[in-house]
Amino acid sequence: MAARSLLSENRQIQRAIELINLGARLQVLESETDLPYERLLRLYKEVAGRSPSKGQLPFSTDWFMTWQPNIHASLFLNIYEYLQKSTDIESIDAIAKAWRLYRDEVSAHGVEPLLSVTRAWRMVKFVDSGMLCLTQCKRCGGQFVTHTYELDRDFTCGLCEPPARAGKALRVGTIH
Amino acid sequence: MEAQLESRWMPEIREVNLSYLMLAQSMVRSDKARAMFCLGVSEEVADILADLGPGQLLKIASGNMLMCRFRFDDEMVWSLLSEHGRRSPQGLDANAARLHASIVMAGNFVEAV
Repeated sequence: MAARSLLSENRQIQRAIELINLGARLQVLESETDLPYERLLRLYKEVAGRSPSKGQLPFSTDWFMTWQPNIHASLFLNIYEYLQKSTDIESIDAIAKAWRLYRDEVSAHGVEPLLSVTRAWRMVKFVDSGMLCLTQCKRCGGQFVTHTYELDRDFTCGLCEPPARAGKALRVGTIH
Repeated sequence: MEAQLESRWMPEIREVNLSYLMLAQSMVRSDKARAMFCLGVSEEVADILADLGPGQLLKIASGNMLMCRFRFDDEMVWSLLSEHGRRSPQGLDANAARLHASIVMAGNFVEAV
């Protein structure tokens, strides 16, 4: 077996550190780097100062369909798609960059980033596997996250037609 | 009088151009992908911006045309943005319209690429 390239290993460690700093779960790192599990675990503890959370990752696409999460998810995915189309950076780096841009954008409007970087990563996987996609709202023309096989010709987004109780809870850091 | 007014804008336009070009350049140099999204420019333009020398920046900045312009000419986006000051009942700033504008703007941009 060829000796591992030091440069490539260094890049992977840098990438892992960045993702840990953004709050990514260990499963994201395992999937996006070739570093052995033990090293990732040590790295995680050193960078985050605590052991990684255990348990499964969220696996359902339904979360992205509810009102508040859909707004967060749609903003992130639009930014991600832009970065993917207009630059040649790798997908995982585009996720990290898009997530930062998303976080800064919502924070500027006093909203907490409801979509964690792990969820964002998961969503990109759902999009890649054809379960979720962006669909254009017929009223505002914006692109929103939907299930792939929904009838999309008459799609109206949750911001043009909010559900009855949407945004009524005026908690700080939420959308209203 | 009119001529005086017109010539008054020239230094201001030059000032704005120069600040804009310098800001854009340092953004592109520190993180190109991010800067392209924030500025709304293509990769080609980003590369050119990054390579400009100070003399070239000065030269480009002078003149009576602004180098930056609105990144949308969509009535929908304008109406969403100008709703910004609207307050919801308990005195919290309504932020849904503003985020709506962000999504529409980011999406328009994806289409344009």
